[in-house]
Amino acid sequence: MIARLRSRPGAVALFGLAALTPLFVRDAYFLDSLVLILLWGALSAAWNVAGGYAGQVSIGHASFFGLGAYAAALMVTRFGRGPWLGMLVGVVLSLGAGFIIGFLSNRLRGPYFALSTIAFSQVLLIGVSRWRGFTAGGEGIPVPFRPGFTTLGLGHIAWVYMALAAALLCYAVEVYLERSRLGYRLAGVREDEDAAEALGIPTRRLKVLAIALSAALTSICGSLWAQYVGFVDPTYVFSVDLSVKFALNTIIGGMGTALGPYLGSILITSLETYLRATFSGVKTGFAGIYLIIYGTVLILVVRFVPDGLAGFASRLRARRAHA
Amino acid sequence: MDPARRLGPAQIDVLAQLAVATVLLGGIYALIAVGLTLIFGIMRVVNFAHGEFLMLGMYLAFWAFALYAVDPYVVVLLSIPVFFVVGLVTYVLVMRGVIQASHNVQIFTTVGLSVVLQNVALVAWAGDFRFVRPWHLSTVIRAGSTTFNLSQVVAFLIAVGLTVALVAFMKWTHAGRVMRATAQDRDAATLMGIDTDRVYRLTFAIGIAAVGAAGVLVAPLYAIYPTAGLQFVLLAYVVVVLGGLGDMFGAMLGSFIVAAVEVAGSYLFGTAWKEIFYFILFILVLVFRPAGLFGQRGAETLGV
Amino acid sequence: MSRVALGIIVATLAILLGGGPDAVRGQAPTGEYKIGVLEPLTGNLAFEGKRHMEGLEVVRDLINERGGVMGKKLVFAVADATDPTAAASEANRLITREGVKIITGTFSSRLCGAASEVAARHKVIYWESSCVDPRFNKRDLKYVYRTEIDATGFGWYNIEFIAKHLAPRFNLKPNQLKVAFLSEDSSYGQGVTESARQRAKTEFGMQEVMLEYYNWTTLNDMTPTILKMKQLNPDVVHHIGFGNDAVLFWRQSKEQNFLFKALVHAGATGYGGADFGKALGNDANGVFALLEPGPGFRLEALRPEGQQIEKAFRDAIQKRTGTYPFGAHQLAGAGLWLLKLVLDRAKTDDPEKFNAAVMSLDMPVGSMINGWGVKFSEVGQNANDRVQHYMLQWQNGQLVTVWPEEFTTLRAKWIPLGAWDQRK
Repeated sequence: MIARLRSRPGAVALFGLAALTPLFVRDAYFLDSLVLILLWGALSAAWNVAGGYAGQVSIGHASFFGLGAYAAALMVTRFGRGPWLGMLVGVVLSLGAGFIIGFLSNRLRGPYFALSTIAFSQVLLIGVSRWRGFTAGGEGIPVPFRPGFTTLGLGHIAWVYMALAAALLCYAVEVYLERSRLGYRLAGVREDEDAAEALGIPTRRLKVLAIALSAALTSICGSLWAQYVGFVDPTYVFSVDLSVKFALNTIIGGMGTALGPYLGSILITSLETYLRATFSGVKTGFAGIYLIIYGTVLILVVRFVPDGLAGFASRLRARRAHA
Repeated sequence: MDPARRLGPAQIDVLAQLAVATVLLGGIYALIAVGLTLIFGIMRVVNFAHGEFLMLGMYLAFWAFALYAVDPYVVVLLSIPVFFVVGLVTYVLVMRGVIQASHNVQIFTTVGLSVVLQNVALVAWAGDFRFVRPWHLSTVIRAGSTTFNLSQVVAFLIAVGLTVALVAFMKWTHAGRVMRATAQDRDAATLMGIDTDRVYRLTFAIGIAAVGAAGVLVAPLYAIYPTAGLQFVLLAYVVVVLGGLGDMFGAMLGSFIVAAVEVAGSYLFGTAWKEIFYFILFILVLVFRPAGLFGQRGAETLGV
Repeated sequence: MSRVALGIIVATLAILLGGGPDAVRGQAPTGEYKIGVLEPLTGNLAFEGKRHMEGLEVVRDLINERGGVMGKKLVFAVADATDPTAAASEANRLITREGVKIITGTFSSRLCGAASEVAARHKVIYWESSCVDPRFNKRDLKYVYRTEIDATGFGWYNIEFIAKHLAPRFNLKPNQLKVAFLSEDSSYGQGVTESARQRAKTEFGMQEVMLEYYNWTTLNDMTPTILKMKQLNPDVVHHIGFGNDAVLFWRQSKEQNFLFKALVHAGATGYGGADFGKALGNDANGVFALLEPGPGFRLEALRPEGQQIEKAFRDAIQKRTGTYPFGAHQLAGAGLWLLKLVLDRAKTDDPEKFNAAVMSLDMPVGSMINGWGVKFSEVGQNANDRVQHYMLQWQNGQLVTVWPEEFTTLRAKWIPLGAWDQRK
């Protein structure tokens, strides 16, 4: 185990740092940002399972996020049970949704696949918004904060560790995919689906599996998010913006690498938070400038560092090794 | 039973009016989709910022009208060269660098572009809803008991005209043939000596010119605000997939089908469900005929 | 991975978020009192956020001209809340980094829910001025207050107007009225419409002939709905619109020659926004919108202190924006003024003493901006019957006050609405 830890110094450093931070920093805003970084990182890693490792680039993962968020919120508000049970229900629902999407879009590639995932998330958005009787429709669901572990009513420090746990879970799944036979086969599907199929790999089944697994992980994080922020609104939790965020973090950080999503999340979430905090209050007329900067940085990073930060780092290392 | 559904002579009038609504709406969708299918079909790029160029076209119409009292239907002539240039500039600055990159890079580049454009509009012109109110907006043509809004009719006619012009361009000019060849096989085209960069430049510029003009045309009909593009962009994608990538005739037909689904769905089940219908249609098409109703079978598996 | 790269990442993170020892700005040096302002300044609701800010800034200046709060100058720490995550995060920042003890805002229900949770957890006062989610005060959160009535209040007033003012003028009894309910489907539209439907049915026995929701952002065409409504033949159309949908419905109804006796809306968006009049000019004549007072408002109907501040407010908004105050200005402005009244009484921002001051306020209608009175319930909700609302009507390019009649010099016209080209 020590050897395995040593082979991944980046991860140890990152997660270790995250674990140690609450011991030294008490500033609630800093801790809140840390929770968000870890949570968005976990979500991006979940996306990576399908997108980076299996090559199924979806822009509709908000479907699963929303399902998880609603499952947790409804379980608490409508059925009076705990959010953990809601999380479980969310996982079941998302597995189902993942299988359906995977199955329906099985033959689709590239942009077609991406568009089909968007359509699915929008269908869910509209459906949930209209089902007033059950989901409170467009009004959304305020999630009550009740202190305690079973009700996921945690303080800032506890939330850091909760988010860290989710991040580690998703990281572990990614690492598993890198080292297992399942992972090698998925890599085959990703690199050249036709060749893989010719070699006898059951590509269709694997794609569906990857999406379903990714869906389940996303849903878990969605349930956690619902308890953390405390308000589930259909136009947000099923939005294309969120789906894009999950994919974006991973792409910037490095698709198909285990640490990539977290690196991307650190950069993007920090940037977003920092820009918003610094610029949004400047003058009413200038609201939006920070988003222009954000969008431009996006374009630049995606263009000039397409391997993502992790890829960039490896290239640096390779270059130094040859120097 | 819902009185709205019983059949009778009044129903024929309703049907006629619904048909008119479908046709007029379809014309507008066609102009938006035609630019998109061109870009998607020839460059294989999912342009998420397409709606934002529509929005910019709407603002062009607004400022021309507000500052110089120029009617949108005059501005549309100006908008074509203006947005052609905008398309060229965007291509050179943003798209060219990622044309050889993976799809993800392209998608997210256009996503970033979309965010930038929306917020440039917000900072420059604030988020208030703007309106263009030319004299013909309230003018209504009546034929029997069916009414046609003049603005919509003119938008429709111009949209059809521009689309036909584009189709003719693609079919009968050298440049059009070259573009189609590049769409079919990029590598073969390069081997044949075609400058693919020039083709993409032209394609993107034309596509943006089309959607910019569409924006000017629809400006009198809808509110103008920085996120107005979102209203149309997903719908445009449904149309494009329905009609088949790169197939302009398909895009036109797809527009009318989507408009029909919307209008019929709104009438029968309520406007709340309108988008669900065309998204479900979208999913069905993707599952059963991903190449689109008119596209080449199997195109979607060729791995764009 | 490269330790260098990792180091860079971590350093970036630390710098961006940590910001060094002066990161925590805390309360300003003596002489200033800072409160947090959380509004949607980007995204779909940006235009409303901007109006809120205008109203807040105008009233802030009025307050400072009159001595500020607790003897200090009132200043804002502004934060942009585009979505629930951002709202919660920014609320956190305002509390931790800016050190505010009071946060005000936030316009939208999806934002106020998340932000108020954060505030409550930190024992910070949340002073909401506009979100109308009825559940806002029912979550057992302490120190959460709302100065404006919630959606149920809007629906309540609308039906009040329809039943008591319109029905007799149509020569119909309320239970003979056929009402069609049409609405955009956000939490705002749903809240108002559902409460209106409830009261219409249970208290007055009105006949509901249609109920339809739609998404205003993707709405392109109202013709199918209008065609359906023509056949259902309602007397009153209760339409909650948000923006473009209001213009679209009204314009296309005219095109299709859809006739009905009245259209009633509630709120500062859609039919109640300046843009509706700008888009349609005199064609907008006849539409009713429940709002804060507009032209025609009789200052004399207010109490003396109310008259003073209302006039000062109106003049200041006129000077700043060139128009009569619009709903968003009025809600934000009234909310802030009310906050000042509480702070004057409490003389501290200690939550318990603040709460006591809030509960002790008891002012009749006509005491302040918008002609409001004040009386907070135990859960922090300002009472329906103190937060006087008014029915306005579009008359020749202006939204004028027409009801309740004792508050205005103007009267409603075109009851029932005649043919489309006859509303002059």
